[in-house]
Formats: sequence, structure tokens, C-alpha cells
Amino acid sequence: MKLIIDESRCKGCNLCTLVCPYKIFREGSRLNEKGIVVPEFNGPERCTNCRLQKLYGRRLCGMCQLTCPDQAIKWVEEERFEDMKVVIEY
Amino acid sequence: MPSVSEWYRADRMPHIFCTGCGNGTVLNCTLQAASDMGWEIDDTVFVSGIGCSSRASGYTAADSLHTTHGRALAFATGVKMAHPEFNVVVFTGDGDLSAIGGNHFIHACRRNIDMTVICMNNMIYGMTGGQGSPCTPRGAFSTTTPYGAQEPTFDLAELAVAAGANYVSRWTTYHVKQLTDSIKTGMETPGLSFIETMSQCPTSYGRKNKLRQPLDMIEYLRDHSILISKKRRLEAEGKVIPDTTFAVGEFVRRSRPVMGLKR
Repeated sequence: MKLIIDESRCKGCNLCTLVCPYKIFREGSRLNEKGIVVPEFNGPERCTNCRLQKLYGRRLCGMCQLTCPDQAIKWVEEERFEDMKVVIEY
Repeated sequence: MPSVSEWYRADRMPHIFCTGCGNGTVLNCTLQAASDMGWEIDDTVFVSGIGCSSRASGYTAADSLHTTHGRALAFATGVKMAHPEFNVVVFTGDGDLSAIGGNHFIHACRRNIDMTVICMNNMIYGMTGGQGSPCTPRGAFSTTTPYGAQEPTFDLAELAVAAGANYVSRWTTYHVKQLTDSIKTGMETPGLSFIETMSQCPTSYGRKNKLRQPLDMIEYLRDHSILISKKRRLEAEGKVIPDTTFAVGEFVRRSRPVMGLKR
């Protein structure tokens, strides 16, 4: 699973930077097309829910998703990377 | 059984709440609790009055009633009497519930109608420009209290306990897990369950009280809340509790006779 911030909904209140116990959000530095500074990720691989949701079969932490007033944080299925095919030309 | 994302009305998003408004958090917790309860969307009615908080019912996929100022509980009573099989949830704000709708509130508690009332207490009238409400803390500045509010604060949870609600609790928007559990317990309890949520309003309240950032405001709520068990213990020991703090936790859970129970 992968954590994403929906930039069309986020209003840049930075509450996720306060409530995440793993501190995977930090204040952003660039404006998006709506003129909002959206928070950015700081090591999202530390998120337990991303790693262990499938294993436990339930949502584990989810503080950011519950707290986000704009419903901008959600988890999506990660696409499996395609197997690389190496063609050797002689 | 619908999942949480199906309870939102996604075509109306993003919503009109200001940056960092706590009402979206309360909406998340309510819909999570409704989803955990296993309710069907068609069997649920969300009723709300007038105010910032009352816009929340428009962002749910279930049927909703956006009613007149302060009369959300009166409309919800009608819904429950006509269709006792419906699950009724009332979203309301502090100005809506305690100022203009105070009469309806105490009588809904007295009748103990089977519904869940969620009050988003942001301590001010947010939508009309920051006038002082009955829940404005003493000394706080607002448009109508430019020298600081001089009146004592209305404690809505204690009022609901005194008026006879079956389940009363209070949490803040910082305590999202506890709030979700509390709303779920309130939905399970027959009779009127009143959950008061202290919520942040950085735009109208924070701007005048040096809490302009949403982070400052939610840290204010976290630091000024005190658990009700701790407060009772301190009172029993005769210690002084600061005037600015408010108690959070479960105030009462009891089983008085209930009106409008599911048949």
C-alpha cells in the first residue's frame, strides 16, 4: 500500500505533521497550481500502515487519515513493477 | 456493508470549511464510526441546523436534512417518531445547540429520544464572523467581546447529564481515536447520546486570540483538556483546577427509559 496526498483537496493546514507518530510528513516548500503549500513526505517507508496493512488485514494507525480535515490522505494499492526483459542483441 | 469512503459524497469535495477547520475531522470520525457500526446508508439520516458545523451533513452520502437555526433536534425528533427504524445522527454547533436551540436540547435530553447528537464546539460563531457564543471561554476575544468575554462558559456536557441524556462524553479534535470510539459507543447506546467535540476555529477564534495557525489552536485544545477521572480525583483531594481547562472523557453512561426505540 502507498500513502498519497490528494492535492486537489489539501488546503495546507499541516495538521498531519503534528499527529503522525512516525513524522513522515513535513511542511512543504513549493506552491501547487492552486497556490497552496502541500505537505511533503519525509521517509514514507516508515509508515506502518503502508507496510503491514495487508499482513494484519486491518487499518493499523490511520491517525493522519482520521485527522485530515479535508479528506486528502488515503492509501492506494501500489502497482507491481513490471518484470524487466533483457534482450541481448548479437 | 458500505466502506468508509462510500459514506462521503465525493462529488461535493473539496468542502467549504476553512484551512485547518476541525469540522472535517469530526466528520471523518463520525463516518468511520457509522461504518464500524455496519449501518446501511439508506437507513441513516443526518440532521443539522445552521452554522459551519451544520454544513457537514451535506457531505455525507446518506439522506440529510439541513434545517432552521437551532431546530435540528426538533426535526430529528420528527424523523425518529415517523420512522423509528432509522438511525438518526444530528450534527450541530455550539451556537446552534446552546444559544438558540437550548430549549430543544434540554427537552430532547429529557425525553431521551434514541439518536446521536454530535456538537462541534468551536467556542465561537464562525460562519457569521466571529461573534461570542455561550461557549466562548472567559477572557477570550471575539467580535462582540472586544475586551474579553466576561460571562461564565456554558458546560454543555454537564447540562446534558443534568437533563437526562443516556450517554454523554466530550473529546477534542486532537483525540481522534477516542472520539471515534466514543461516537461508536454513543451510537450503540439506546437513548440520546451527546458527544461534545471541542474543535478548532483558526479563522474566527484563533485570529483574535493569538492562535492563528491550526497547529497552535489544536495544541491549545490538547494542553487545556484534562481527563474527567483526573479532574474528579483532584477535586476529591481538594486541589485547585485551572479555570481555563475543560474536562474530557466519558461523563455518564446509564439506561433511563428511552423514547422512539427500534421495534
